[in-house]
Amino acid sequence: MAEDKKRIKLNMGKFLKIIPERLKRIKNSSDDDMKPLYSYKPNALAAAIHPKEQFVIVGNIEKLCSDTLLFTLLPDKEKGTSSLSPFQAGQYISVSVSSGKRTYSRPYSICSSPSEFADKYQIAVKRTDGGVVTGILHEEIKQNDKLTVSDPCGSFTYEPLRDAKTVIGCAGGVGITPFISMIRAVKDGMEDFSLTLLYGCKKPQDALFRDLLDKINDPRIKIVYVFEEGAEDNCEKGIINAELIKKYAPADKYSLFVCGPHNMYTHIEKEAEKLGIRRKYLREDARGQMIHPEKEPDFYPAENGDYAVTVISSSAKTELRCKSGETLLSAMERAGVTAPSRCRSGECGFCHSRLVSGVCYTPARADGRRAADKVYGYVHPCCAFPRSDIVIEIKA
Amino acid sequence: MRYDHDIIVVGAGNGGLAAACRAAGAGYDVAVLEKHNLAGGVASSFVRGRFEFEASLHELCDVGSEDDPGDVRKLFTELDSDARFINEKNLFRAIVTGRDGYDVTLSAGRENFRKSLLKVCPGCEKSLDRLASMLDRTSEALAYNDSKKGKPNKLVMMFKYGKFLISASHSLDDVLRSLGFNSRERSILETYWSYLGVPADELNAFHYFEMLKGYIRHGAGIPLLKSYGLSLSLCDSLLRRGGSIRYNCEVTEFIFDSQKKVIGVRAGGDEYYAKHVISNVIPHNVFGMSGKNNVPEKDRRLLNARKFGMSFICIYLGLDKSAEELGIKDYTVFISHRKTSRLQYDDEENMGFYVVNCLNLAVSEASPEGTCSLFITVPVTNGKLMRGVKPENYYKFKQRIAEKYVDDLCSVLGIDIRENIEEISVATPVTFARYFGSPDGTAYGYRLSGWDGLMARMLSKGTELDIEGLTFCGGHASSGDGFGVSYRSGVEAADEVISKLGGKNDG
Ligand code: FES
Repeated sequence: MAEDKKRIKLNMGKFLKIIPERLKRIKNSSDDDMKPLYSYKPNALAAAIHPKEQFVIVGNIEKLCSDTLLFTLLPDKEKGTSSLSPFQAGQYISVSVSSGKRTYSRPYSICSSPSEFADKYQIAVKRTDGGVVTGILHEEIKQNDKLTVSDPCGSFTYEPLRDAKTVIGCAGGVGITPFISMIRAVKDGMEDFSLTLLYGCKKPQDALFRDLLDKINDPRIKIVYVFEEGAEDNCEKGIINAELIKKYAPADKYSLFVCGPHNMYTHIEKEAEKLGIRRKYLREDARGQMIHPEKEPDFYPAENGDYAVTVISSSAKTELRCKSGETLLSAMERAGVTAPSRCRSGECGFCHSRLVSGVCYTPARADGRRAADKVYGYVHPCCAFPRSDIVIEIKA
Repeated sequence: MRYDHDIIVVGAGNGGLAAACRAAGAGYDVAVLEKHNLAGGVASSFVRGRFEFEASLHELCDVGSEDDPGDVRKLFTELDSDARFINEKNLFRAIVTGRDGYDVTLSAGRENFRKSLLKVCPGCEKSLDRLASMLDRTSEALAYNDSKKGKPNKLVMMFKYGKFLISASHSLDDVLRSLGFNSRERSILETYWSYLGVPADELNAFHYFEMLKGYIRHGAGIPLLKSYGLSLSLCDSLLRRGGSIRYNCEVTEFIFDSQKKVIGVRAGGDEYYAKHVISNVIPHNVFGMSGKNNVPEKDRRLLNARKFGMSFICIYLGLDKSAEELGIKDYTVFISHRKTSRLQYDDEENMGFYVVNCLNLAVSEASPEGTCSLFITVPVTNGKLMRGVKPENYYKFKQRIAEKYVDDLCSVLGIDIRENIEEISVATPVTFARYFGSPDGTAYGYRLSGWDGLMARMLSKGTELDIEGLTFCGGHASSGDGFGVSYRSGVEAADEVISKLGGKNDG
């Protein structure tokens, strides 16, 4: 302690040595050119995990049922994607397709196993009425075609610190895809939780991945089909509801994971409320394009049926019309303006744009903006509906 | 396409935005090119569920109140930003575990600071007096130096301001020792070392004192709309002043003329020419985009001699109960299992040092009612923590690290938040490398140690990285890291450029 207390004496003359010391250091160091960024580990990892884009080749295309195709995407080594990026089960990629002069992109959950990330991703695409992109994918895209996809994103994933050890999955239709990846991840030892999957479909023929699901023999995974029409042995009849969840849920805590068509989320939210499930234990996948804003609790109607929209990008100014029930992003897409987008659900912020003038309605449920965005006039066009004429500046 | 502007600013980080606002305010045609789709760099936030998380900048030193504005508040007013701040009066709580450890809470304000320190270190009164006199002396010396326009009389400096010369040329730890503080007292006083990124035995004392003075005088200033609100307020001001920002626009090359003067940049297939380029991008990256022949050899040697500053692991937690319900009492807690800043710095692997913030305790509306957000900041000083991390185990790594720190903070603070985590997100040096593009994901630019400390950089200003047509600003520039400091460096860079271009542009 005596030593510790002793005051040392310092010399102000050292001040004069600062510059000579610095010059010496500089003189003695190397004259090599700067090392490339990827030679630093965090930067190399960032490039491998979050590349700006990934180039893929379409491998096998398999028909899962009458209206759904399973695409296998392989790394396009020639174009520089030597290995695909890792992902967490439940994440999605945004797939870009071109048709004529237009480029579209849509998010699709990855359904392959995260353990095989380097070699392949699989996505299931259901053909929807009037869906431009699903139309292109079903009609035009063939094996060996080249596509560009985003890095994996999204937060519909299992987090051990946050989620319960048991997950009750509620899947509807093609919403089964992220769960397929989770099931594979559990089997491959990539994830550690128990999953009871309630898989709701209209009729037995609509259920996807049955080959895989029916063969599962793992104590941590249980599949329960819930068919609205047409009964099968050991299946539930009707739709997924509180009663059914309760029947299969453990006595103690569990997390409820939901992925399905739009109306399913609203329905399950109500059922979860009946069961008194805490918010932290209810996790929903990104819902995708909002098609029925009028069903939102805070909806308010527009005065006009459509509005004039001026889109400013770095290279052009485009005038277009946007219907009051249509998102700005869809209207831009219709008019051939390629605006950035990924989740199309309001949460990723990829479409972030400046509202130069005008008023938009953003349903609170899909409003993933930051507090300051609202104050300074920024919007997410993927879930903004015009309520006046609009001038918007996109980041492209 | 070819574009022409008076001034191009590369990077919309804190320094870049401040520089752009300042130059646009002086009547210049300014364009900011930003590689990301958001402005702000480190001053950003992100949303998960019903939580908005502060990405990294949660408070600024030297903001002050409206009646007694500090440097940073004045700067925001000058830049015509309408950002609002809240002042926090407690500086921090610092806990060092184990035998001879401590658990202290220090307050802002000269008197309160003194009182709070004496309460836990009753024997250090005399040393504290000496410290106070040293802090005053350095302020006077700076004022004198300014009055002489940076060319002070050497004899006056030596006889009148010897204390300044000492603090300017020695490490923090040495100076505190010379003032008579024992190791425990030093450890407490040195707690803020992580904000400058080097342990006290390498950190320039003068530099630390400048920051400490700001904290003692004003406490911390916390942006009401998160740091992202600061960024947007500057964007707003910039646009009002006639400037522009182009996003998703990554500069890939600096263009030089035959005299080795920077005349523009290339980005996304376009060329942007300007009378002057201000770079908020770290010199390492700029040199990497310039071609070896275009940049001076001495500057390349300087960069090769430098080390990078810290990066971070940040764990963001959205909790589904209020801070009060969870028993979280402090806005900032520094937690350490090591006793000196040197050990805290070196032992990154074993939780040498980390910071826990609960923003709600300063800004109650930081998250929805009945919830709170908590974030853990871990300095990454040597990369040992990241050993063995590969693309295939990266997500597992993040989960493991989050678990480890959450467990530790619960046991140190005697709380249990594990049942209340509603949202979680983890950022690592990989995340920072991704968004900033800086080598090693550094958020602090270059390491401010010894020969490359603040004083050495200040004394060398004007003789280094003095490339025609190019000026640097940001945390990697001569005044070092720190949020307020980065804004200030942007304003200074702009002023330098404005005077080169002939002053205010009224035409
Ligand atoms: S595309 Fe994700 S928020 Fe709009």
